[in-house]
Amino acid sequence: MIHAVLIFNTSGIPRLTKFYTPLHQAQQTIVQKIFSLISSRPAGLCNFLDAPELEAFLGPQDDADERWRVVYRSYATLYFVFVVDGAESELGILDLIQVFVESLDRTFENVCELDLVFHFDEVHHILAEIIQGGLVLETNVEEIDSSVQAAAKARRESFTSANPLSLGVGGGAASRNGGLQTPLGWLTGKITGVGAR
Amino acid sequence: MWERTLQDLIRGLRANKSDESKFIAQAVDEIRREIRSKDMELKAAAVLKLTYLDMMGYDMGWASFNVVEVMSSARFHLKSVGYLAAVQSFNQDTDVLMLTTNLLKKDLSSTPSDIAVTLNGISHIVTPDLGRDLSPELIAMLNHSRAHIRKRSILALYKVIVKYPEASQNGMGRLREKLEDQDSGVVAATVNVLCELARKNPRDYLPLAPQLFHLLTTSSNNWMLIKIIKLFGALSPFEPRLVKKLQPPITDLISTTPAISLLYECVHTCIIGGMLQGASGYALARTCISKLAAFIQDADQNLKYIALLAMVKIVPSHPHLVAEYQETILASVDDQDISIRMRALDLVSAMANRDNLQSIVQQVLSHLVRAGTSSSILPTAAQSLAQHTVPASPTSVKPTIVPTQSPAYRLVLSQRILDICSQSTYDNIVDFEWYLSVLVDLAYVANVNIGSKIRDQLVDLVGRVKAARRYAVKLMVKVLSDDTFSGDGGDESSCAEVLWAAAWICGEYCSELTEPQKLLTYLLQPRIANLAQDIIAVYIHAATKVFGFWATELAQRWDDDLLPEIRNVVDMVIERVSDFNSSPHIEVQERRTLYSCSHSSGKIFLRTDLNLKTDSASKMLLHHHSTQSQNHGFLKACILFGHCSLHTNLILWHLLHKRACLYRTGWI
Repeated sequence: MIHAVLIFNTSGIPRLTKFYTPLHQAQQTIVQKIFSLISSRPAGLCNFLDAPELEAFLGPQDDADERWRVVYRSYATLYFVFVVDGAESELGILDLIQVFVESLDRTFENVCELDLVFHFDEVHHILAEIIQGGLVLETNVEEIDSSVQAAAKARRESFTSANPLSLGVGGGAASRNGGLQTPLGWLTGKITGVGAR
Repeated sequence: MWERTLQDLIRGLRANKSDESKFIAQAVDEIRREIRSKDMELKAAAVLKLTYLDMMGYDMGWASFNVVEVMSSARFHLKSVGYLAAVQSFNQDTDVLMLTTNLLKKDLSSTPSDIAVTLNGISHIVTPDLGRDLSPELIAMLNHSRAHIRKRSILALYKVIVKYPEASQNGMGRLREKLEDQDSGVVAATVNVLCELARKNPRDYLPLAPQLFHLLTTSSNNWMLIKIIKLFGALSPFEPRLVKKLQPPITDLISTTPAISLLYECVHTCIIGGMLQGASGYALARTCISKLAAFIQDADQNLKYIALLAMVKIVPSHPHLVAEYQETILASVDDQDISIRMRALDLVSAMANRDNLQSIVQQVLSHLVRAGTSSSILPTAAQSLAQHTVPASPTSVKPTIVPTQSPAYRLVLSQRILDICSQSTYDNIVDFEWYLSVLVDLAYVANVNIGSKIRDQLVDLVGRVKAARRYAVKLMVKVLSDDTFSGDGGDESSCAEVLWAAAWICGEYCSELTEPQKLLTYLLQPRIANLAQDIIAVYIHAATKVFGFWATELAQRWDDDLLPEIRNVVDMVIERVSDFNSSPHIEVQERRTLYSCSHSSGKIFLRTDLNLKTDSASKMLLHHHSTQSQNHGFLKACILFGHCSLHTNLILWHLLHKRACLYRTGWI
């Protein structure tokens, strides 16, 4: 299964941390450790992080099934890191990271780091359409995208029914009717495409 | 009240990078107020902000009850926020979890969107109790009309089974049915779950083999095929007939599939699934290894890495097939990518045999040497490498730059050398003198905390290999006379423990020494006070043995002209040993006392020989008695004196024999 999905930027700031297996040590330390090891790797090396400093974290050497593997890919200013065990195919996970990035791209249109920063919950919802509880749910980008859109639509409908005054007004209204802006008003603004970025 | 949205929080964080913690403290205060609000929108917004801060490392456990409140909202967009917060922050011990049972049940019978979010949440937060309470609903949900929900239920059921194994009794039947589901995604999810379960209890899933086999031969979904292959890899070791059945389709896949990921998994499964035995297995083994070798030589580093991973597993059964590619593999040990080096090291360790051991060890040792430490010992190490290497290996070591030389990596390298050579009680070593010199070189260049292991191996080897003792002693004398180790006794990575071995070996096999008295000067030089206490103790003990041996030797060819020399040595010894009078360590004290007893008596006799007055000699003797008797060690020393200082007794005996003194009876 997949034990963790991490996204952090080239300075080590985490943009998404999802742990499917609780860690016994502080999550921040392991993120920093992985970051320091990955950032020192020049481009062109393999996408598997297997350094002696991670031995304790990765688990027993002898049992190949139990031993974890850190698979990563870098896209622009971001590192996408998946921590998996022997039940997952190494090359398959590389493909899965690509699927994840493509799904983000579908939703955010030319996704960049700032999108992940300001819509971190959206990123979680997208990831939840790909992986549930550490197991792969769907690998086809089309399927994932339609599920993401369906869930987003349900959230949007729920919001508008709770806040009828914001109906059809979108982000433009947020600036005109400042007093009506609800704490989750930004949600509407993004989805109707106004003031999306 | 100024209500801040998540976006405001994020913008604020970005604007206040300089005093971030202050800003966050303010934000958390606001959140604490907002989260208690009756307005669910406000509450949810606060929880969302808190979830964001949780990612940055700020604990949100104190808000777990509020999270449950938001989860229970009827509005889907708020419910999502609650479940997200739960998934990110709840753990098995979160006490509010027991409040969620009814909420989860209710959500599981709600709209499909609610169900989806709930199932996702359950996969994260399920506890044994929740598992027990929810498993009936979950199992029923396996037959939901929507494929998306069926998929999620299957995956959620897996997590429930993990926490509450009894669920598998009822759930397994339904799960098996899902292998025949109309929707291919549902089938894939089922295979995924079965793969995970089978890794823990392979035998229970053998009955599924026919269905899985059918899927293997009919599906074109690469993801699912990979999982099925992996599943069979877990099952086939337990069913030989399965191996026979699988060999044809897997061989077929290996030769035809364009997907490298699937090809690799087939090869990997052949290796770990025990499919390479027997005559038919042999052909398959050749195919697998040739594919892996192609990967290792591929420009794509990822292929190289996974090929090395798989090759390690095939070495125990088909070492000669792997040995054909020895050169390529050895070259990988020099790769600039540490991940590849680590796995290549694994592989060469597994491949080590009598013929290639020396070239492998030479290569790994050269990594340590090349590290560019500022030690002046480097030329010596390189020289001994050159001297003792069997020049049979055609492997040319490329002068590639080795960028990282972290202590962890150096430790791995050093440990690896020790492990490869000591495998099967040193079975692979042909030339022990070579290996002894390797151990000493390792002590010089390692610069990591491996001294005690080197010490243990040195002592072990010298005990086992009689023929190597003379050479070992020669080496050890060189080590003892060298200043490198004795200087920094406090430094953990200096491998000073090897001095313990050196002293002990010289003492134990002192008959092989060529210049014992010279060694004594090294063993007792003032610098040794910097060493660890147990090393000093063994030094003194060894010095006793060496002195005894030397003196006996001299006594056998006694000549009065030798007296000045022996007197100088004894003077030196007594003087140095008395420096340790104040040592707090009991071992050192014991040795010192023993030494000074035996040597003072020797000294007294010598002085007597030189016509000192008898009464002053006996006074000296009595004085010595009384000072020693205050010391607990004195009694022990006497016993030890009688037991292990055979040599010293012999000296006395010879001296007395020549001079017919009567002090002996009173002394002992």
